[in-house]
Amino acid sequence: MADTHLDRDVLSALQEVMEDEYPVLLDTFIADSEERLRVLRKAEDATQLMSAAHSFKGSSSNMGAVRLAELCDELEQRAKEKSPVGIEKLVGEIDGEFAIVRPLYEAERQRSLAE
Amino acid sequence: MSVVTEVSQNGQKLTISIKGRFDFAKHQEFRESYENLQPKPESFEVNLRDATYLDSSALGMLLLLRDHAGGENAEIRLTHANADVRKILAISNFEQIFDVA
Amino acid sequence: MIAVQSSFESLTILIAEDSAADRMLLSSIVRRQGHAVLTAANGAEAVQAFEQQRPQLVLMDAMMPVMDGFEAARQIKALAGETLVPIIFLTSLTESEALARCLEAGGDDFLAKPYNQVILAAKIKAMDRLRRLQATVLEQRDQIARHHDYLLNEQRVAKAVFDKVAHSGCLSAPNIRYLQSPYALFNGDLLLAAFTPAGDMHVLLGDFTGHGLPAAVGAMPLAEVFYGMTAKGYGLSETLREMNSKLKRILPVDMFCCATLLCLSFQRRSVEVWNGGMPDGYLHSIASGTRTPLTARHLPLGVLSPQTFDDRTQVFPMAVGDRVFLLSDGVIDTCDANDQLFGIERLERVFAANQQPDALFEEIEQALRDFRGEARDDVSMVEISLVEAAQLSPPAPVYSDSGQSCPLDWSVSFEFRAATLKRFNPLPYLLQLLLEVHGLRAQSGALYSVLAELYSNALEHGVLGLDSSLKRDASGFARYYQERNARLDALQDGYVRVNLQVSPKGEGGSLTIQVEDSGKGFDVAQVMDRPLDGVRLSGRGVSLIRQLSREARWSDDGRSACVEFYWEALA
Repeated sequence: MADTHLDRDVLSALQEVMEDEYPVLLDTFIADSEERLRVLRKAEDATQLMSAAHSFKGSSSNMGAVRLAELCDELEQRAKEKSPVGIEKLVGEIDGEFAIVRPLYEAERQRSLAE
Repeated sequence: MSVVTEVSQNGQKLTISIKGRFDFAKHQEFRESYENLQPKPESFEVNLRDATYLDSSALGMLLLLRDHAGGENAEIRLTHANADVRKILAISNFEQIFDVA
Repeated sequence: MIAVQSSFESLTILIAEDSAADRMLLSSIVRRQGHAVLTAANGAEAVQAFEQQRPQLVLMDAMMPVMDGFEAARQIKALAGETLVPIIFLTSLTESEALARCLEAGGDDFLAKPYNQVILAAKIKAMDRLRRLQATVLEQRDQIARHHDYLLNEQRVAKAVFDKVAHSGCLSAPNIRYLQSPYALFNGDLLLAAFTPAGDMHVLLGDFTGHGLPAAVGAMPLAEVFYGMTAKGYGLSETLREMNSKLKRILPVDMFCCATLLCLSFQRRSVEVWNGGMPDGYLHSIASGTRTPLTARHLPLGVLSPQTFDDRTQVFPMAVGDRVFLLSDGVIDTCDANDQLFGIERLERVFAANQQPDALFEEIEQALRDFRGEARDDVSMVEISLVEAAQLSPPAPVYSDSGQSCPLDWSVSFEFRAATLKRFNPLPYLLQLLLEVHGLRAQSGALYSVLAELYSNALEHGVLGLDSSLKRDASGFARYYQERNARLDALQDGYVRVNLQVSPKGEGGSLTIQVEDSGKGFDVAQVMDRPLDGVRLSGRGVSLIRQLSREARWSDDGRSACVEFYWEALA
């Protein structure tokens, strides 16, 4: 179950690159993501939605959150097509997916600090 | 190749044929065609049948050949020149120092 | 060949990315690859960072707030100018339209998210190679521009030096009109003119092979010989021999100088011509309207050795108002937009259409302009008219001594025999000798003319036995000079004696010149009876001598001439 949410290979590659900064990177991502979710929930038009989804998609893929990135991509496409059908539901799914991966990142953070 | 050479059987005569414009662009090729021949040929022919044009650097090149071939004693024939080329040879009076056939 | 180093060079790279985590990640990746990192969170910050720090490469996120990546890229490229600053767009855009936007904005490459370190490193390396290539090209371009400036300056200096040498002549005389580009020298074109001590005019129109400094450099020794010998009174043949051997000696084998040389004599009303390799000159006779082509009969200067050089000239009579035209091959070779040559036929048409001789020069210039539409820089043209001798005022020669030591009372005798008469012209030496006497300097022109006339009479009519009445028309002129050369070549016996006597007289002094020849003499009384006039082509120059000197007497049946000059005290 955890595999499709978080790509462990990506995480180890990230740790190798960031070295001591790894925990900081994870913190930064979590903080960024919370902000992006806020924007998504409050978005007033298609452009804002598209832009936030696109940005979230980018950093999620960099951080190995595979399912999260997929959902953001879907949201971006929908927003571009300007079809409001199911947008609210999608945002809800993204919210839920983040709720799953967030503790995984926090655990990862703890683990790396203990090493 | 716009400068073609032919040495006679016994190595005594070198024929150099020029194709196209005989001008400064042919300088190196022309020199190389006769400079390093051993033994040195006794007579030379410059075949101008396919030469369309001759300028003052070509006249200079002919003088270099003449110098290489013995200066005043050189045996050099310039053959099959067309009307334009002949005219240039006439004005410069090169017919006085080359055998123009 | 441009060599670009392939060893690693650490760059300063600007990362413009609005997502903090992505920014942090990319910075670490890039730092780990050995480069220094600058960061910006939006397009405006990116442009500012670029302006202040001038990184060598930019990683640019396409979608950013405040100013997006496209606009930032445009501004950065503008700031960079001709230096290449590669911009790699960071994008998860997949549609080709969006990718095209990146290119249009000045992007040089893309990197997709999620970031792949290996691909990023390869792209940075590739972009850096391009960047260094561009820098090398610009540096070499600047180097070339600098060298070009040096060259131009060298040419300017050379031209200034040459102008001093070239303009010691008389091109500004009223009977000369000419057309020449200021940069003619660097096309190998040369135009010189100078007066002889007798008041004749020597003119040279020359064309060196090659262009640029090599052609110009050959012109200087040539000009020195021309001016030096002309000033001393040497004739065309001697001057030609000297110019030819000088060029033969100093120029490389494949360089030579085509030239036409003229000697116009206003007193004798004739022009002497030598043409080696130049296009036809033209002698226009105003009275008859005929045009005589002056065709090249000789090889250019600098080709033949002194032993084989041919210095024979042709002589033609001229009347007052007649002109000689000389042209360089730049005239005939002038091309129009379709690469058609102006050619001899067009030139002849201009000649034929001409009504007013004075306008002919301008008409040729105009025809060239009409044909070509713009001036060529290697067209040289000169027109020399025969005018009354009195209309010209040759400048007085400048002497370098102070006048304290001056021979005032002396005499000398020479006897020039057959072998010497064939190959030696004693006149320059005799003149130099006489000019040591300061009192005579003011009359050097007359002195030289008289000496030259006496000598040529003694040689041609006396020793060689030529009949001066042969020179009554143009073809007779040609025959006369041919005969002169033939008889001189065959000469075995004969002599010309010259005696010079200088003595003081009161405050000034006198010079007596006596010239004797071994010939048959002539009927002095008959010639003296003819009225003094200056128009006829023949007549032993007796009138000329009588006009120029104080006293002139012939004795011994015309074989001996005695002429006197006087001078008063010098001021």
